Amino acid sequence: MYIIIAGGGIIGSHIASLLVQEGHEVTVLEQSETALKNLQGQLDIKTIRGNSATPKTLKEAEIERADLVLAVTNNDETNMITCFMAKEMGAVTTAARIRNVDYSGYFVAPSKTPNSPRKIVRPKSLGIDVFINPELEAATEIMEILSGFYSTPVENFANGLVQIREFKIESESLVGKKLTSLTLPQPSMIVAVIHQGEIIEPEKDFVLSEGDSLHIAVPAYNMDELGKIFIQKKRTAKRVVIFGGSRVGVLTASELQKRGVKVKIIEQDPIRCDELAAQLENVDILQGDGTDRTFLTEQGVSSADAFVATSENEEINILSALLAKTLDVPRVMVVVNKPGYIPLAEAIGIDVAAVPTILAANKIIRFVLRGGVISASLIEAQKLEAIEFVTGAQAVIANKKVTESGFPKETKVVAIVHNETIFIPPEDKIIKPGDHVVIVTPPESVQTIEKLFK
Amino acid sequence: MRIKAILHYLGLIIAIIGVSMIIPLLWSLFLKESPAVSAFAISMALAIVIGMILWRFIKVKEKNISRREAVTLVAVGWISISLFGALPYTLCGAMPNFLDAFFEAVSGFTTTGATVFTNIDIQYKGLLIWRSLTQWLGGMGIIMLFVALLPLLGIGAARLAEAEWTGGKQDERLTSRMRDTAKVLWAIYMVMTILEFILLKIAGLSNFDSTMVTLSTIPSGGFAAYNLSIAAYNSLLVEGIVLFFMIATGVNFGLYYFLLWKKQPGKLFKNPEFKFYLLLLFGAALLINLDLIINMGASIGEAIRYGSFNTAAIMTTTGFCTADFNTWPPLSKAILLFLMVTGASAGSTSGALKVVRVLVLAKYAYRQIKNAFNPSAVIPLKLGGNIVPEGIVNKTVGMAIIYFSVAVTGFLIMSGLGLDTVTALSAIVSTLGNVGPGLGAVGPLENYASIPALGKGVLIFCMIAGRLEFFTILILFLPTFWRWK
Repeated sequence: MYIIIAGGGIIGSHIASLLVQEGHEVTVLEQSETALKNLQGQLDIKTIRGNSATPKTLKEAEIERADLVLAVTNNDETNMITCFMAKEMGAVTTAARIRNVDYSGYFVAPSKTPNSPRKIVRPKSLGIDVFINPELEAATEIMEILSGFYSTPVENFANGLVQIREFKIESESLVGKKLTSLTLPQPSMIVAVIHQGEIIEPEKDFVLSEGDSLHIAVPAYNMDELGKIFIQKKRTAKRVVIFGGSRVGVLTASELQKRGVKVKIIEQDPIRCDELAAQLENVDILQGDGTDRTFLTEQGVSSADAFVATSENEEINILSALLAKTLDVPRVMVVVNKPGYIPLAEAIGIDVAAVPTILAANKIIRFVLRGGVISASLIEAQKLEAIEFVTGAQAVIANKKVTESGFPKETKVVAIVHNETIFIPPEDKIIKPGDHVVIVTPPESVQTIEKLFK
Repeated sequence: MRIKAILHYLGLIIAIIGVSMIIPLLWSLFLKESPAVSAFAISMALAIVIGMILWRFIKVKEKNISRREAVTLVAVGWISISLFGALPYTLCGAMPNFLDAFFEAVSGFTTTGATVFTNIDIQYKGLLIWRSLTQWLGGMGIIMLFVALLPLLGIGAARLAEAEWTGGKQDERLTSRMRDTAKVLWAIYMVMTILEFILLKIAGLSNFDSTMVTLSTIPSGGFAAYNLSIAAYNSLLVEGIVLFFMIATGVNFGLYYFLLWKKQPGKLFKNPEFKFYLLLLFGAALLINLDLIINMGASIGEAIRYGSFNTAAIMTTTGFCTADFNTWPPLSKAILLFLMVTGASAGSTSGALKVVRVLVLAKYAYRQIKNAFNPSAVIPLKLGGNIVPEGIVNKTVGMAIIYFSVAVTGFLIMSGLGLDTVTALSAIVSTLGNVGPGLGAVGPLENYASIPALGKGVLIFCMIAGRLEFFTILILFLPTFWRWK
């Protein structure tokens, strides 16, 4: 596919690197010289300097043959106009990063005369096919973690019948144990082992150490049983402190507040505090420094059930989360934007609740590249991809055994769902047309595998 | 920096050179030149075996390579291929002295075309084919070929290509992936090669001669099959075909991509470098033609025929010749020497400073003069309406300083070795620009055999440094480059 990405910031470059790995042809449009220089130093892509919303820049990028345009600059309006222009000039699909939720609904325009019909204005008619709101996705993810007892979000496959979740080795009873000696509920399959921040192929006598994590696939009904092995029961959050009145913070706070959770927001900027106070009901807005220990103690952070650092400054997020951890808050989470910071946060024992950049990439993979029917998600930033395929009747691999269907050797077939019967791992099952197949693979092999299912 | 990664990829580059020896091997086999056959067989086996051992047995986990590794690989790669490329010359007995063979191989790969053969006519045909083939491989760039052939290099591909490509970083990528760009460039290169071969065949040259001339013209090389170079054919038609292709290969190959693939002729015809290149070429040819008519008494026809051909041959740094310009009037010789410094367009197969850099330098100097009387004036440096980023301006000025520093140093050493001023200066300028012939004792009908060994070493350095545009090779001499591993 030929994909044009407007905006070479963190999100843009992250998605670009993923798409390049998958073997797509990528061009990035960006206005800032410094951002372009960074991109050129990191990725083997074509870059064009200019305003992506102008026809001149789009023409230079050969918009007429673009299969997909991703507008992910940090300006909603630029993204919308970029998509509009791109569509007008012949792009097939467009997706825009729109942070202002007001843009993503539809509006009813008042009729001009009493008799004429009222006009409904939809952003889709502006040429935007998919809305990406990384902040909203991040808030949803945080909500999901806070409401359950897991510290990581789940990935659903085959209409939720099969789930993959990352488990961190935290409890002391597991540290020092051999991987092979774990008694996992059957059926289940370990799809990836992460050791010291790298995905490894564990040897027979691999011993778990603290900070390792396992991605495990199980049928949904077994998830809770599996969870008990790895996680001590945590109480559901009743009192939550949010540091940073960013979009993510506000979205999370208002959702939590609706569910009857007591929420405090700490924000440094007094003007932003006034805005927050006007916007949010029944939420305490505290103006102060989130990295000031005395201030945090005074505001009763130590008695909170959870602390979520969501400010725009991710370095300060990590610092304040660390501080909250020393104040004995049971669950401490941060939001980071740079995928490079994930291992950093994990190294000091802080859960990364959400990485908006990766969520945006996930959404693009799921809804744009794969057509939205099936699920897809990224494991460990983007080194592995978990994808669900539906076997077509004419597929190359239909009616063949898994072992004989010619998957690339670094690819793992995790599950086959045949008429709601789940096979994990499928071993030498025969793949029938209509079966849902869940596969974990490095992005490089995705295109090869896609061909097998066509 | 991972030495292992460099050796791993180096193995593949050496193996590619080994495989390419199949062509001269078969040629010699066909002509039953037995010493050459065994020389090629041994060299080929050595290159492939050593290359494959490095490639197979030195494994790297991370396939991608850093900028530092890329630069080192390109520099070491060029030296290694020249070492292996030199083997056949020594093994078949044509050049008992390995330094001479190495000189000839470097001269080939860097598309210089300076030879140490005192008599070309008596050499094995297979060896001559190899000599021209090295130019053809080096013209578009052996690293470029490597990038085009090897998948999964990612950003490493861009870093490698940038370290080798002439004219520095392209301000505009042709395609998204460097690998595709490399493929496109090689495709254009192939098409031009085939086209010239066919035209020369139609003009009546033999298979051997067409191959020799084509493999020498397209990469702007200059090795010929005969002592008299192109003059040996004494055919106006052949000269015309060669002239056309010499001029064509002096144009940025990327512009052909826009013309042929993208149907955007504007990119070519409105390109400031392209326009200035033609202007300079025709201006120089006109001056030389007039000089020949007025000061040497040549007829108008002769002046146009020989004056134009040799001007283009020198400016595109091909280095073919149809006349002994050593005997031309002083002005003509001076213009030729100047053209050896400018060269043709960036992104072409020609060597030397490149026209676009001359343009930038001229505008830079003009700006400095303007700023001298009004220091507060802010004057952007523009080329064809687009502002040239200050980073590129700085790099260009820096490169010019390095070029002249290396030239002056080389000139001093060569003079110290006892060469006369004209010979010493033109030998250095000619090898730095990958032209081939110089003036005086290294003139068009002479050769480099008489240069002392140390002098040959200096010229070998000049050829590689000129081909890789200095930075890639000079970085290796910086202590700081090696200190932080």
